Amino acid sequence: MTKTYPKASRPSLDSVSVSIEKGEFVFFIGPSGSGKSTIIKMLLHEVSPNKGRVVVNGRDVTAMRSWKRPHFRRSIGCVFQDFRLLPNRTAYENVAFALEVIGKTKAVARRVVPEVLELVGLGGKEHRYPHELSGGEQQRVAVARAFVNRPLILLADEPTGNLDPDTSIEIMRLLDRINRTGTTVVMVTHDSNIVNQMRRRVIEIESGRIVRDQARGVYG
Amino acid sequence: MRMKYVLSEVLVGLWRNVTMSIAMIITMAVSLFMLGAAGLLYQKVGDMKDLYYENVEVSIFLATDVSEQQRTDLDAKLKSDPLIKEVFYVNKDEAYKRFQEMYQDAPDLVNAVKADQLPESFRLTLVNPEQYKNIYDQYKDTEGVDEIVDQSRLLDKVFGVLTSIQTFALAIAVFMAAAALLLVANTIQVAAYSKRREVAVMKLVGASNWFIQAPFVLEAVVAGLIGSILALVFMAAGKYFGGSGSLSALEGLITPVSWGDIFLMFPIMAGIGALFSAGTGWITLRFYLRV
Repeated sequence: MTKTYPKASRPSLDSVSVSIEKGEFVFFIGPSGSGKSTIIKMLLHEVSPNKGRVVVNGRDVTAMRSWKRPHFRRSIGCVFQDFRLLPNRTAYENVAFALEVIGKTKAVARRVVPEVLELVGLGGKEHRYPHELSGGEQQRVAVARAFVNRPLILLADEPTGNLDPDTSIEIMRLLDRINRTGTTVVMVTHDSNIVNQMRRRVIEIESGRIVRDQARGVYG
Repeated sequence: MRMKYVLSEVLVGLWRNVTMSIAMIITMAVSLFMLGAAGLLYQKVGDMKDLYYENVEVSIFLATDVSEQQRTDLDAKLKSDPLIKEVFYVNKDEAYKRFQEMYQDAPDLVNAVKADQLPESFRLTLVNPEQYKNIYDQYKDTEGVDEIVDQSRLLDKVFGVLTSIQTFALAIAVFMAAAALLLVANTIQVAAYSKRREVAVMKLVGASNWFIQAPFVLEAVVAGLIGSILALVFMAAGKYFGGSGSLSALEGLITPVSWGDIFLMFPIMAGIGALFSAGTGWITLRFYLRV
């Protein structure tokens, strides 16, 4: 597929073709502006390619009408560098919020949220506010929020970008555990350490083109 | 639970920006009040036309020096005229009686006028009140006729005044509505901005569009409904205080505004207030909350 943003001199993604299998763990690496984030946005149906198709979970996202997007997004979890937590809600409430706004009852939240917080290693810290948690813990809350609805795919856009190396490793262990439950994990990163340690499929993008696609790869 | 969430969001939203909410509600109330007043006037003018045109009379006043012959000739002519439904002859004594009744609140005036100063007249009811002009042309030069007065012409003047008041009220309603809707748009922009984090998360996790938009739109709708309730209160106050004050002078002329009339305006005001607010809110969100 190809994506050119308006006013851009060259395509952000140029004839990129990638296939990711269910249950895979994939790193997208490459310098800033190489087009990695565009891929995430396309998978979320935030932008559409000018040419080509994006198929997610067997559905052609390119042809999807925008009003179907919300429902489609429920099968995808997202984690970002900046956590994107609601500062005026506790860890529990942040995760429960994600359930309640898609129509799940409070009873469901009461059952599921403590479970997933336990899974990400935040048992006992449910009622802390984001500012009372460390960066790593905040990112765990974000992962819990992304995973609480048991999505088929977890997208992680530089999830360790704001974390120190040790904390980053912990978050990666968490993502790895989630991957082992059968969830496909797609992660965009700059962090060579992590890529080298995980030894998973690495797709390197440069100037909108795939320059390397390697199973059990390393960074650069 | 979702309904509860949406409703609590609405209240929180109105409270978060309470000065703006009050401004929004007041302008809406004034706009809807003006709209309601214009509607009432419209209704009243219709009622009055029905009532008055039914009973409208053309009066042919006779000259003081009219002869017996002229009077009988005119009487015969009027009675055979196909345009005229009924003819009453009012002599000086009857005219004086009517005059006394009409001005019973002004005894000085009644005392100052003697029975023989009032002209005798024929009172005509027309088959079709709008054919006054024909009658006027036909009889104005008849001997012994002093003046022909058509009540419907007087009424037309009254209705003209009422209609311009109505137009004025509508114009104010439109201007206030424009102000109110701009305030709605602004309030929603502010609300969307202050909730941008929540909205971003909701979009991310796949909350449906209506669920994201409903609190904002409902906030505007609730403001519109509160505005219409206030407008109803204004109208009720207008009836309560205006009825005994300066407007009571018009009471004999204008058919009275009943509580029923006022309460009938409420669903119209509430409907318009709610619909226009919702529409404005929804359009604003299209621009500021790309979902």
